[in-house]
Amino acid sequence: MTEAVSDFNLGETIVFWVCGGLAVLGALGMIISRKAVHSALFIALTMINLAILYVANAAPFLGMVQVIVYTGAVMMLFLFVLMVVGVDSSDSLVETIKGQRFAGLLLGIGLGLLLTVGIGSALTTSGDIGLTAANDAAGGNVQGLAQLMFDDYVVAFQATAALLITAAVGAMVLAHRERWTPRKSQPELSEERFRDGGHPGNRPSPGVYARHNAVDTPALLPDGSTSLDSVPGPLRARDDVRDVDPADVDEIRELTKGVDS
Amino acid sequence: MEFISPELDYAALAPMIVVGVAAIISVLVEAFAPRSVRRFLQLVLVFTTLIGALVLVVLNSGMRVLTGGQSIALDGPAWIMQGTILILAILGGLLMAEGGVDPSGDAFAPRASALPGSEDERQFTIRGYLQTEVWPFLLFAVLGMMLFVASNDLLMMFIALEVMSLPLYLLAGMARRRRLLSQEAALKYFLLGAFSSAFFLFGAALIYGYSGSIAFGPISFAITTKAGENTLLLIGIAMLLVGLFFKIGAVPFHQWTPDVYQGAPTPVTGMMAATVKVAAFGALMRLLYVAFGGVRWDWEILLWIVAILSMLVGSIIAISQSDIKRMLAYSSIAQAGFILVGVVAASPQGLASVLFYLIAYGFTTIGAFAVISLVRNASGEATSIRDWAGLGKKSPLIAAIFSVFMLSLAGIPLTGGFIGKWGVFAAGVAAGDAWLVIVAVIASVIAAFFYVRVIVLMYFADPTPDTAAVVIPSGFTTVSLAAGATLTIALGIVPQPILDIIANAGVFIR
Amino acid sequence: MLKRPSITRGVPRAVNVYTPILVLGLLAFGFAAFSVILATFTGPKRYNRAKVDAYECGIEATPQPMGGGRFPVKYYLTAMMFIIFDIELVFLYPWAVAADQLEVFGLVAIVLFLVNLAVPYIYEWRRGGLEWD
Repeated sequence: MTEAVSDFNLGETIVFWVCGGLAVLGALGMIISRKAVHSALFIALTMINLAILYVANAAPFLGMVQVIVYTGAVMMLFLFVLMVVGVDSSDSLVETIKGQRFAGLLLGIGLGLLLTVGIGSALTTSGDIGLTAANDAAGGNVQGLAQLMFDDYVVAFQATAALLITAAVGAMVLAHRERWTPRKSQPELSEERFRDGGHPGNRPSPGVYARHNAVDTPALLPDGSTSLDSVPGPLRARDDVRDVDPADVDEIRELTKGVDS
Repeated sequence: MEFISPELDYAALAPMIVVGVAAIISVLVEAFAPRSVRRFLQLVLVFTTLIGALVLVVLNSGMRVLTGGQSIALDGPAWIMQGTILILAILGGLLMAEGGVDPSGDAFAPRASALPGSEDERQFTIRGYLQTEVWPFLLFAVLGMMLFVASNDLLMMFIALEVMSLPLYLLAGMARRRRLLSQEAALKYFLLGAFSSAFFLFGAALIYGYSGSIAFGPISFAITTKAGENTLLLIGIAMLLVGLFFKIGAVPFHQWTPDVYQGAPTPVTGMMAATVKVAAFGALMRLLYVAFGGVRWDWEILLWIVAILSMLVGSIIAISQSDIKRMLAYSSIAQAGFILVGVVAASPQGLASVLFYLIAYGFTTIGAFAVISLVRNASGEATSIRDWAGLGKKSPLIAAIFSVFMLSLAGIPLTGGFIGKWGVFAAGVAAGDAWLVIVAVIASVIAAFFYVRVIVLMYFADPTPDTAAVVIPSGFTTVSLAAGATLTIALGIVPQPILDIIANAGVFIR
Repeated sequence: MLKRPSITRGVPRAVNVYTPILVLGLLAFGFAAFSVILATFTGPKRYNRAKVDAYECGIEATPQPMGGGRFPVKYYLTAMMFIIFDIELVFLYPWAVAADQLEVFGLVAIVLFLVNLAVPYIYEWRRGGLEWD
């Protein structure tokens, strides 16, 4: 116990309070913020701070895994799920069971208090051991983990493969939309395109008389009219075609006077 | 530090290795075999594997080994539970293989990814697509369960728990009929399951903080040598128990049970109800007896409360159910309470009685769900109890078989359920929990009411136009149903051979 | 009983360990703040709406549904594969660090693991989960 007291040091204390505080703030922000994406970003904040704390506590491997797997992969999965569901779809905040939120709050606070007091009292009386001895014995943090993983826990290690296979196959079963019609071949696709009188070549580009190369500006034909074909379909459908300055049209008409069109 | 490659007892691990390798081959079959032969290949692979693994378990049953460091314990009870899980998985697999009951295919959605009610789904149904991925899922779940009952280490136990649960979450969402209900069941099961896993992990961390180890042996050693401060230990035990109580469906961690039992495809419900109970109780007992035997007096009170709540809540709410699958779900909650009476006895007698109870309960449950999968009307399974009125007059044989299962669940003599209940109650009395047994008996009486009510409805009510018809199944369900019925009665009349096997198995090794 | 902190344990050493992290953090924060503040004082400020567009291509950005709309669920398959290879990497890392100590057994174990994780990939590939149409 005296060891724990004498181990007090300024650097670790600052790292702990800064990162610990940010982690708690992130966790709070996660539940308080109304927008799901903001919540996800707050979790990322919490996780990065936890990673720093792990590294500071002589567990660099855990810190790296926290960043690679949680802040990287799991967060990405969270965001993907949000995007799949649609970030704007807000949750209904109506309580289906009366008093549920209050009861949940009460029980949550109760559990939190129990854990804080219980673990707090246990830690203050028993002191900490730290990782230094274990890391030194194995010749390093990662080396020690490797020896555990390939020795006592090699069966557990292999069993995680079963878990990952199930997850991947399950994702396929639930999310992969199989086709029941045969896939269209290239000839079929092109035939389909031309059967109804589709345009056989490239659509007209802005051309030599172009006064603007933005995609929403139609090409000017030599007679001064505009070619709507040169504007992409979606823009036409949305009525987003830019008007052509009449001065430009007049100028072109001047230029092409006497030229066979 | 010199690395010494671990001494793995490959012979003892062989049943699990066989199931694991077969599960991976099963995924490869999905990848490479053309659609027309997948079902056939999968059935051959799955049943060969399960029977082969069962043979290996029987051959190994004399072994008492700790392997993989200390993380896996293959002892008498482990072999019995692995064998039981394999037999129940074979019977459950037979139900899942049934293709002749639903006019449009098997019990599973043709493609689980197709939107319910969409043109895609209709086309897949017409074209006779089958989601044969259920077979690798079954094998992975069985692998997880076998590992779960043999786990002698919190990390191993957690991974086994997840390997067991993940395929079950998926299987629950793949029912062919009433897709939305099934998907809701899967989502609820998954979310609550993940929540309970988090509790388990938190508990494991606290136990590590207390004892400096996650292996059961050193934890037990720390408990006997460390005097005084044990707050971490007690909170840790409580949180580990939350995770396991969730899996056995004990009150107050039972909320998922009715929805999942109702929404999951009936063959999956049957398989899951039977095998997960065995696996979870096996793991629960090993954890409590081997790791935490030294603080028995502390965890006993928790088990008392949960057992009483489970028995009473399960029995009482089951009475008001109008859906037969939901009724059996609440019945399973009550049964979990009865089994806990044997667990809390914490004696060799208690262990033996629980093992017997689990075996009897497993066969009865699979049989009961087999019957439910056969009683159908135009829209699929007729799960409303009202539609069962007068079934005894329309289909006397099926009604009689179902009555046997109900009587066994109620614990009426001459059925396996009676011997099982007798065993756990006797163990409870012997351990000095007489008042707990009194509560259990009262709950049994309440429970008998709703079991018998179904029998009365089948025999003493007149058939209505709504009364469901019994579909004649193919050989798969017939074998499973016959085995369930025969074993339920056999365990009630000549239980001695099984009791002897259990007695010879002895207790958990340390 | 109080033990005197030695030179190697306790305050001096610990400060040395954490100082680089703190200094790096302060430097990073300082540089970011410095750049932003400097830019606001020195740069010319001429407002043009096109400058705040996502891409300065000259046309109005396509109107988006609130929050960017929904993604097709098939992205989820890619995400799942990413997670699997990510976790594979996490397991590979300790093996790679200690490969010389782990000998043949370690090699066999990790190769077995990699082969196992290739199985769902093969499955997804064969069943068209990676096709994009």
